[in-house]
Amino acid sequence: MFQSFIGLEIHIQLLTETKVFCGCKASFGDEPNTNICPVCMGYPGVLPALNEEAIRMAYVVAMALNCEPNEYAIFERKNYFYPDLPKNYQISQFRSPVGRNGYLDLEYRQQKKRVRIREVHLEEDAGKMIHAGDISLLDFNRAGTPLLEIVTMPDLEVGEEAEAFLQNFRRIVRYLGVCDGNMEEGSLRCDANVSVNLRGKGLGSKVEIKNLNSFKFVRKALNFEIERQTEILERGGSVTQETRLWNENRDLTESMRVKESESDYRYFPDPDLPPFRPDENFLKEVKERLVELPEERKKRLMEKYGLSKLQADFICEEKETADFFEETVNMGADPRVAAIWLASDVQKMLNKYQLSISDSPLKAKRFARLLELLSARKIHGKIAKQVLQSIFEENRSPDEIIEKNGWEQITDRSEIRKILKEVADKNPEIVKQIRSGETKPVQYLIGLIMKETAGRVEPGILQEVIREEFAFTLVRVISMGGAITGEVSEDGTILPGDPAKLISRIKEKTSFNGKIKIEEFSVNRILSEEINPEDWAVLISTIANHIQKGDTNGIVIAHGTDTLSYTASLIFWLFPSPGIPIVFTASYQPPATKEDIRGEAFENLSGAISKIATLGEGIYVYLDGKILSPLNLKFERIGTNGFTNWNLEKPVFSAKGMTSYLSTENFSRDTLLGKIREAQERSFIIKVYPGLKGDTLIRLMDAGIRHFILEVYDTGTANLRESPFSLRKAFNVGKERGINFYCTSQQRQNIDFSRYITSHELWKEGAIPMGALTTESVYTRLIASYILSQSEEEIVKIMEDTGAYTGF
Amino acid sequence: MTNWKGITSNDTEYERWKREVSELDEEIKSFIQFDPDLGRKLTDSGRTGREGMLEGIPFAVKDNIAVKSFKLTCGSEILKEFTSTYNATAVEKLIAEGAFVAGKTNLDEFGMGSSTENSAFFNTRNPWNLAVVPGGSSGGSAASVAAGMVPFALGSDTGGSVRQPASFCGVYGLKPTYGSVSRYGLVAYASSLEVIGILAREIDTLERVFETIKGEDVMDQSSLSPDSGESGKEKSGKENRKKTIGIPEELENVDIDSEIRKSMEESLVNFRKSGFDIRKIRIPTLEYVVSAYYVIATAEASANLARFDGIRYGYRDFSAENPEELMLLSREKGFGEEVKLRILLGTYVLRSGFQEQYYIRAQKIRTAIRNDFSRAFKDVDLIMMPVYPRLPFEFENSEMDPFSQKLADIFTCTANLTGLPALSFPISLSSGLPIGMQLMAPPFEERRILEAARLYGNIFPVPIPSRHLGSPIGKGE
Repeated sequence: MFQSFIGLEIHIQLLTETKVFCGCKASFGDEPNTNICPVCMGYPGVLPALNEEAIRMAYVVAMALNCEPNEYAIFERKNYFYPDLPKNYQISQFRSPVGRNGYLDLEYRQQKKRVRIREVHLEEDAGKMIHAGDISLLDFNRAGTPLLEIVTMPDLEVGEEAEAFLQNFRRIVRYLGVCDGNMEEGSLRCDANVSVNLRGKGLGSKVEIKNLNSFKFVRKALNFEIERQTEILERGGSVTQETRLWNENRDLTESMRVKESESDYRYFPDPDLPPFRPDENFLKEVKERLVELPEERKKRLMEKYGLSKLQADFICEEKETADFFEETVNMGADPRVAAIWLASDVQKMLNKYQLSISDSPLKAKRFARLLELLSARKIHGKIAKQVLQSIFEENRSPDEIIEKNGWEQITDRSEIRKILKEVADKNPEIVKQIRSGETKPVQYLIGLIMKETAGRVEPGILQEVIREEFAFTLVRVISMGGAITGEVSEDGTILPGDPAKLISRIKEKTSFNGKIKIEEFSVNRILSEEINPEDWAVLISTIANHIQKGDTNGIVIAHGTDTLSYTASLIFWLFPSPGIPIVFTASYQPPATKEDIRGEAFENLSGAISKIATLGEGIYVYLDGKILSPLNLKFERIGTNGFTNWNLEKPVFSAKGMTSYLSTENFSRDTLLGKIREAQERSFIIKVYPGLKGDTLIRLMDAGIRHFILEVYDTGTANLRESPFSLRKAFNVGKERGINFYCTSQQRQNIDFSRYITSHELWKEGAIPMGALTTESVYTRLIASYILSQSEEEIVKIMEDTGAYTGF
Repeated sequence: MTNWKGITSNDTEYERWKREVSELDEEIKSFIQFDPDLGRKLTDSGRTGREGMLEGIPFAVKDNIAVKSFKLTCGSEILKEFTSTYNATAVEKLIAEGAFVAGKTNLDEFGMGSSTENSAFFNTRNPWNLAVVPGGSSGGSAASVAAGMVPFALGSDTGGSVRQPASFCGVYGLKPTYGSVSRYGLVAYASSLEVIGILAREIDTLERVFETIKGEDVMDQSSLSPDSGESGKEKSGKENRKKTIGIPEELENVDIDSEIRKSMEESLVNFRKSGFDIRKIRIPTLEYVVSAYYVIATAEASANLARFDGIRYGYRDFSAENPEELMLLSREKGFGEEVKLRILLGTYVLRSGFQEQYYIRAQKIRTAIRNDFSRAFKDVDLIMMPVYPRLPFEFENSEMDPFSQKLADIFTCTANLTGLPALSFPISLSSGLPIGMQLMAPPFEERRILEAARLYGNIFPVPIPSRHLGSPIGKGE
């Protein structure tokens, strides 16, 4: 078993006005050789003078990375000849850099790690040489611009982890305002040291990798290099210590120079620059610039405002977004609503107009006002989006826009009650029908009122007022088939049946009448095991539609038993905070046929309906007089208490903080169906068992599978030993093809990758541990992710985020 | 200025002076570029209207110090055609006081030498005897002052390059405290050792020039304000008591020319007569100073001279086929032998794995020397030593080969290793050639040295050599 070690050497260009040792402008993209002077051109007789802002930024970064600041920062000359280096030595640091012995905490794929920082040092950049045919051109604009080098210890193991570290680091320097972190333009550059050795034998021969000018290349090049070195060692060879270049066109690393001829830089202290000694005042200034860093801020936003990890990730990606978010929230906006809007509609606008939040016409005050109007239902969601669009187009306040367009809705309950009364008085027939228990005329009444007011009445409030006025609870029953609405054939087998029968019996036999009105809708007359993507699509869009309209007090879903665990968790993932109670129920036996027996189906369905009046918002499973969570629901056996919840410390019915951007406006039934189908075609659940071959998985990949849910042994172990039954090859192939692996446990316990060596290897191979979640819940999470995402990258992010919900 | 007055107002006088300097310099050859018209233009354009302290005074500048629009050859082929685009801070300050640059003077290439024979262009002759070297590396500056062409000149002192030629030519030569004069504009040879110095015939001139050019400079972060010195705290108590001059015992172990030894003894007698106490002191590290000095100087030189590569300016070899070769060939052809030797030495001592043995050890010796001197200055006010153990020598003197010349830096380079101020002043003539002695003081105590030298000037006035400007303009008031 081999172990890999990655250390990074990161260079960042500091965002100072001027160069580090002279007064020239430090800017990029200007006409060649325009930002130069005798000092940065290395003219005879000139001397460097340290830019205080540059050294201050250097200390800010060193402190942010938890380094010990040196009492003296000493500048040294690093001697080497190169045409783009004006003095033919670079002023850098060697023996006493700005800071040493720091660290940065990293959490990657649920694994926490402390990456040690060897040192942080300040230096000057060189110019640029371009070869054009048989001439060489030099641009010295960059020469002398401040560069900060950050060297990590070899604490990273895989390319993805190094990429995550680098992204974290980038966020930090952007938060600190010291670097824009643009890898493509070279303001953030990265070289890496890679070595591989037998586990427990320490570092191997070090290979330096250069030319890693994007996050993607960092990941790909490092993984390639680890693989290359591992193969050499497996063949019994030894790795040559050398410098290699990443070739982005061929996707491999190539030897650049062998380290034996390593240049001797002949460092010695630069006599032109006295050692820099940070005094108390200076360190105070530095501390003042240590803003709250992204990781801490994420944690705080999650705790304080109940944001999900994914939301916090999004909000905290850029400091200005996080600042904007908090400013909005401080003005009274609901943090979760603000977060959802920022990540979806606001982001779309920013993308459309190519703006960043801080220079967009959407000021925090306007945004807060928009959300306030929305939550007061002065406008509804659709209008709110139009208002947002107008803010970007017209640069006006929401109130101005709403007034100009006459978009304000009637939300005053007494006014609505007055209108309702007027319309009802004109239509006594309809009122009579409603009072007698029919629900259809309610829709007709609403239609009349809308006509009367040109659609300006807020529909949700109208629904509520009507229900109050006529004093009933409206429950929608959605039938998904299954035994609960089925019937027994003559030979005793169970067939799908008509739900209307059972519902009319319930209407007859219970005292709901008048108080609880039941509206029934049948998705399909099927058995549970026959469930198709179409059925889910209809169910989801029906639920979304009711939530959107606010036309019901709650929804009861009569479902078959076999697939209940899937549907219930899917609905949970899609509607983590539905606003109303949604209760699933089922029965093992079809409704009783004898008049005098109520039976299991009757009891469960009527019980579920009656629960609507007492439950808060959330997704519930009602069986045998008990309420279960939709998540981690396991169908263990037929019979009483056949369903249980796995690995839940306390029941989970809703998750306010969890992101769900689902709304019927964004998804037609067809789109939903397409997404569900795609998810199902690309996913595969595999129970790991002795005899499972890696090749089988590869064949599945060939067939188009992109997501594997692996039910592994206990805490996350699988066969990785060299043999046909090793899954390693499949993982490697998968990694190359960007295939994703999510691990769940065959047992009733949490998946934890920190216990066994094979589980650590799984982590290295890129598998995502799904924590406490069961296979069923993970599978539906995957489907939900497909529905909620625009890209595969986003899907994986949501999946990783799910792992954080192990506290359920 | 006691003996010189400004000449800007009197064109006839100016033209005569210019002509006489040109004529005399055909023999002496102290100037690489003599162009006072350009210097006057430069001063006129930089004037603020205020009456300066040095109004109309011409001065010569060693050609490794930047003067805008003047050449800056450093006595090297590699910079033969190079013209400076800016002024050194010291030059800027002099111009601001109304002085003007007469021209740029000859030197050993990049200041590396003790006879100005290492100039890539020509030899400068000693006004006392044309067959004798003027010393170096500021030989051109020393000769121009000694020959009365200018009242003062700027030089640079890395290991004695101001004091030794001053001594050879019989004028004053001040190496100020390290950092007291900005190095901005001085083409670096050994940055931690060198400082811009002054060569002058009159001690008053020298003092006024020093007052003008000293001071902290934002362009040179190694420059220091005089407050950094001990002057403030020490002055009060010691002001009125008898001054003490220390003489290192170790001088007895050094091979010093007997004439010089004799003159030194005479000067001590004179100092005693003038009320000084003479006391023996110990500088045990004296025997290591030359090796330590050359390790540090060449190490720094190897980096400082790296920038001359033909890429951005200077001599460029057009036969090169790529940038790397261009650098190689330009340096190969642009540098003289002594410069190459020192770059190689410096590169050698800085190699990783060898630093402990050479560079770091030299730094330790440097610290020890500093300690020796600061200990010695607890007992004495001034320390006196010869400037040079040899009399001014003739051109291509086989006894004074490059190696012997380096060994002979023993007395001067101590001031560079310690950063202390030191002055070379004439004490006698021997066979028609001047002999100088050297006084050192604690940091920023230049005034203490100048006072002693002024006193001695009354005993031994500065002599005038045979080759001298007939009637120096503005001379006498």
